[in-house]
Amino acid sequence: MSELHCITVVMDDKLVTLNAAVGLLRRRNLPVRSVTFGPHVTEGRSRLFAMIEADEGAAQRVALLFEKLIGVDEARAVPAADTVVRELALIRVRAPAEAYGELLDVLGLYHANVIEEGPDGLVVELTGPDTFVLSCLRAVERFGIVDVARSGAVAVERPAENPRAPTSTEASVS
Amino acid sequence: MLTGAQLMCRILLEEGVDVLFGYPGGAIMPFYHALPEYPGLRHILVRHEQAAAHAADGYARASGRAGVCVATSGPGATNLVTGLATAYMDNSPVVAITGQVSRPMMGRDAFQETDIVGVTLPITKWSVLVEDITTLADTMRRAFAVARGGRPGPVLVDVPKDVQNQRIEYTPRAAAPARRAAPVVDAGALADAARLIGGAERPLILAGHGIILGNASEDLRIFAEHTGIPVITTLLGISAFPEDHPLHLGMPGMHGEVHVNRAIQRADLLIAVGMRFDDRVTGNTAGFARHAKIVHIELDPTEIGKNVPVEVPLVGDAGPILSALTRALAPRSCTAWWEEIDNSRRPPHEHFRGDIAPDTILRAIHQASGGKCSIVSDVGQHQMWVAKFFPYRRLNTHFSSGGLGAMGFAVPAAIGVHLARPDEPVWAISGDGGFQMNMQEMATMVQEGLPIKLAIFNNGYLGMVRQWQQFFHGRRYSATPIWSPDYVKLAEAYGIAGYRVEQGSQIAGAVAAALRDPGPALIEFVIEQEANVYPMIPPGASLSEVIETAPAPEPASA
Repeated sequence: MSELHCITVVMDDKLVTLNAAVGLLRRRNLPVRSVTFGPHVTEGRSRLFAMIEADEGAAQRVALLFEKLIGVDEARAVPAADTVVRELALIRVRAPAEAYGELLDVLGLYHANVIEEGPDGLVVELTGPDTFVLSCLRAVERFGIVDVARSGAVAVERPAENPRAPTSTEASVS
Repeated sequence: MLTGAQLMCRILLEEGVDVLFGYPGGAIMPFYHALPEYPGLRHILVRHEQAAAHAADGYARASGRAGVCVATSGPGATNLVTGLATAYMDNSPVVAITGQVSRPMMGRDAFQETDIVGVTLPITKWSVLVEDITTLADTMRRAFAVARGGRPGPVLVDVPKDVQNQRIEYTPRAAAPARRAAPVVDAGALADAARLIGGAERPLILAGHGIILGNASEDLRIFAEHTGIPVITTLLGISAFPEDHPLHLGMPGMHGEVHVNRAIQRADLLIAVGMRFDDRVTGNTAGFARHAKIVHIELDPTEIGKNVPVEVPLVGDAGPILSALTRALAPRSCTAWWEEIDNSRRPPHEHFRGDIAPDTILRAIHQASGGKCSIVSDVGQHQMWVAKFFPYRRLNTHFSSGGLGAMGFAVPAAIGVHLARPDEPVWAISGDGGFQMNMQEMATMVQEGLPIKLAIFNNGYLGMVRQWQQFFHGRRYSATPIWSPDYVKLAEAYGIAGYRVEQGSQIAGAVAAALRDPGPALIEFVIEQEANVYPMIPPGASLSEVIETAPAPEPASA
């Protein structure tokens, strides 16, 4: 049965390895929901996350295919339900004086931090599952969004003693 | 102190390389400048870099060692691509060395600059740019280790011209790299497999290229004889198991014999070894071997369950796994199953008209060489005839572009096969289409004194496409009629012997004359224009839906 899987790949930090990794995802013809790439905690290593829709066998095969690439140390495929997934969004939003308080109230609901203030608006930092981020964006849309930068999803596996707890994606916003 | 170019030559010698196939050009000139200082490296100047890659592939397949091809940057490198893709699909250890523009010019669309690493990423096990002289030696060594290691395949090493000119102290390789330990086979899975095999009533072995690559043919023979299980060989598995062995059944799939495919459809167990359930083997997987459980013996775990569900995966080297299974099983036979299969055999249907039938030609070639020759086929109808009608009795004597199906493969690949096996005749058998894709390599054979025997099955069509047009596209022969030059005169122009065979009575004489000739020789066999390959499973159909005769032509109004 097809379900969302999180593929985590630890690799060297060379662009050619990233190129090979993305090429692998592309040419294996799987529905890829998101790809993010960033540094790994180990110096000189990077970490790629891909969310793919696949059955368990296909997801495990993708991880094994990654491990065949020179430059890849390790790859794991885990059902998204067994992971904690978050993304970061930086939102530039207008803050008209008459609606300023109201905007702060909305942002407070989402535990969003104001990290820059200017005469014509704010820069807000928000973390959460993608549904949470999208919900916040809808909520502040009426104030006037100038720009949004989304990091894409990163994930870690849940602690072993807590498998398949309701995901944050499923948890309600309020 | 050595230059980078000299260092490259030293490493090639270190890796046991004795022949390179290549073509010089601007960005690889330092390497070619150094090459004459290393007489242990024989260079074969091809006429097109694609041929260099195919020749390196042929050399690798025939020798079991890495084949090396060399090209310059830009067009030289891009011309390698088809050969590398072929080697990738068929797991042939090829190391390609390309020149690259000097580092200060890179990224500026310099003359003959191509991102060949980017181009070849999806068709190599590893593509790497050498960024500095200090990493050159280890990168080259690793390239060979990667190409040969595990499931073999091509590697490309791109060396900027200025790196080839840099100087460095040569340090011999510290120690031979430890051979990667084969994955430990799961004992439980082995026991499960043995239980399934012991209990199966209608088991089959599907043997693929992995038997040859993994030197497992003897283990396969012992396992088969111990159990009495019929052995099917895939296109690239041909010559992994002697075809005159009573347990050999034939080739499966799109052009497999009816009784072979019927056996697959009736089987209750498939033991697949070193094969990957290619769609040309399975047909529509939904209808493939529906009564069979599958035991899959395969080195590469990413192949398990890729195309068909597998009951018991055995990931590891085929040879040790097969011998472990032999030890785990009591001797058995499959008498009733063999009887059932034999009852479904039919006398070979005589489809060919005229007396220059492909099967007659191939038997003549076999007889004339006493079976002691290597056969390199191209791609298309003749490829299937060569697979089906030549009786392969010696290990690893059939070479073909299986996975990629690259027309133009045979002539240059035969160059590589010959250099790996200089003491026996090598036949490159092509259609008139594929031959014309790389016939320029006759010049290479002449210049380098390579006595390769070229056979052309000339039917005036791109025959396999024409056959599909006949069967599935209302006989509209769009772009399939193909003109050929006068091959005898062409041979003469290249200074080699050429024969045209237009009657059956000429076959044996021409084959004998070609074999007697100390140099390269060419025979054009003028075969029936609209001969077809039978039987055929239509693309996308299951193995049960077999075509054994041409469909009646549709009414003219259709």
